[in-house]
Amino acid sequence: MVEYKMKKKIILIMLFIILGINLIIIAFLNMGGKNLTSYSQDYTYMNTYFNIKIYSNSDASKVEEMFTEIDQILSEYHELSDRYNAYNGINNLYYINNNTDNIEYITLDERLYNMIAYGIKMYDETDGLLNINLGHVIDIWKKYREAGTGVPTLEELKNSGSTDINDIVLTDDNQILNNHPSIDLGSLVKGYVTNIIKDFLEENGFDSYLINAGGHIVLGDTYHDDLYRIAIRKPNDDIVGNIVLKISNTAVSTSGGYERYYEYDGVTYNHIIDPNTLFPSSYMQSVSVVSKDSALADILSTTLFLMPIEDGKNLVESMDGVEAVWYDNDNEVIRSSGFSNYE
Amino acid sequence: MNKNDIKLVIVVLFISILGFDFYYLNRDNNPKIAVVYYDNEQVLTIDLSIIEERKYTVTGFNGEVTFKTLDGKIKVESENSPYHLCSKQGYISESYETIICLPNKIVVKIESSSDIDAEL
Repeated sequence: MVEYKMKKKIILIMLFIILGINLIIIAFLNMGGKNLTSYSQDYTYMNTYFNIKIYSNSDASKVEEMFTEIDQILSEYHELSDRYNAYNGINNLYYINNNTDNIEYITLDERLYNMIAYGIKMYDETDGLLNINLGHVIDIWKKYREAGTGVPTLEELKNSGSTDINDIVLTDDNQILNNHPSIDLGSLVKGYVTNIIKDFLEENGFDSYLINAGGHIVLGDTYHDDLYRIAIRKPNDDIVGNIVLKISNTAVSTSGGYERYYEYDGVTYNHIIDPNTLFPSSYMQSVSVVSKDSALADILSTTLFLMPIEDGKNLVESMDGVEAVWYDNDNEVIRSSGFSNYE
Repeated sequence: MNKNDIKLVIVVLFISILGFDFYYLNRDNNPKIAVVYYDNEQVLTIDLSIIEERKYTVTGFNGEVTFKTLDGKIKVESENSPYHLCSKQGYISESYETIICLPNKIVVKIESSSDIDAEL
């Protein structure tokens, strides 16, 4: 009888041990490392769909405040860089490009001045491949793309107006010469403004974030023990996950001709214009650039799209902290030498 | 309460814990749902677990936007816009993929778990 009781006790104890182990396992399964809450907000500005994720332990109201402030930043940069619409009280791109006032210089908002100055600097650094004075040419292509019924002649493109970067003249005191340039900041604004948002988040103590600006992604610290996983789409293919980057605290930018394009007479025309030929570039399907500098990543992806892949590879190899991957016109993958370190 | 009652309680407790474990470890981690937004407001949710082809229509900024779903995937079949970028995009099926129709202010997101955070 005593033995029987002992057995029962042992069984009971074993049951409780199993119960305990069970609870511990479940608790472990539930632990997500850092355990940060994920907050997400979408915005549409600059013809781009932005999704911003903040991972944080802070009060939800603090995160909401950040989202509201970011909305303000994006909306202001949107208005400053808009070259199709005027806004009350803002000397934006539309105002500069279409100014008929009898004044020699236009005073600019410092933010717009800095963006234009950055664009001019990058013209020099990219040997003219990044040209922010292509507005007239872009508009002609836009007109044809929307109609979808033809292709402009070189003559028409050349006669559309100057593309000379030296037409854009900045003074030291936030002013620009009033000589009707055709400034278009589309090739740099995403990278530039996401850089500003990144700095804003970090200044306010939010270090874990994912800023997705449609083809341009900026990452902070991760939200768990693992790195972020960012997939690079294979052009014209439903299969995903061919290339998956494992990264954090960096930016990735893709330029591709396979999304925004139109076809005429069996030829495909994408939206990235080569300033040397005034025609869309066709060296490749897409190129993606990894760099800690978000603005540079954006500019480099455009620049590399406008260069033969071999030349682009040489350029990337000559730069510190920059890697790239190309999908050539046969959809074959070409990597820079250090790219696989991120995979 | 006699000893047999206690035994019964323990057995029931044990079985229910096992049951919970079974549910917890086998629960569907990937219930795939497509959520359609118009101007950042949720207007439609679609269960993507349906294998057969289905069609859904919502009103976008430029008129009707029609979606087709098939075996866990969704695409925009027709809409009114200058370049039809979102129709050209084709099917999406993963949480890191998004269909964006800017002219129609329509966004489609997939709600499911994935180990990939974003795609570009």
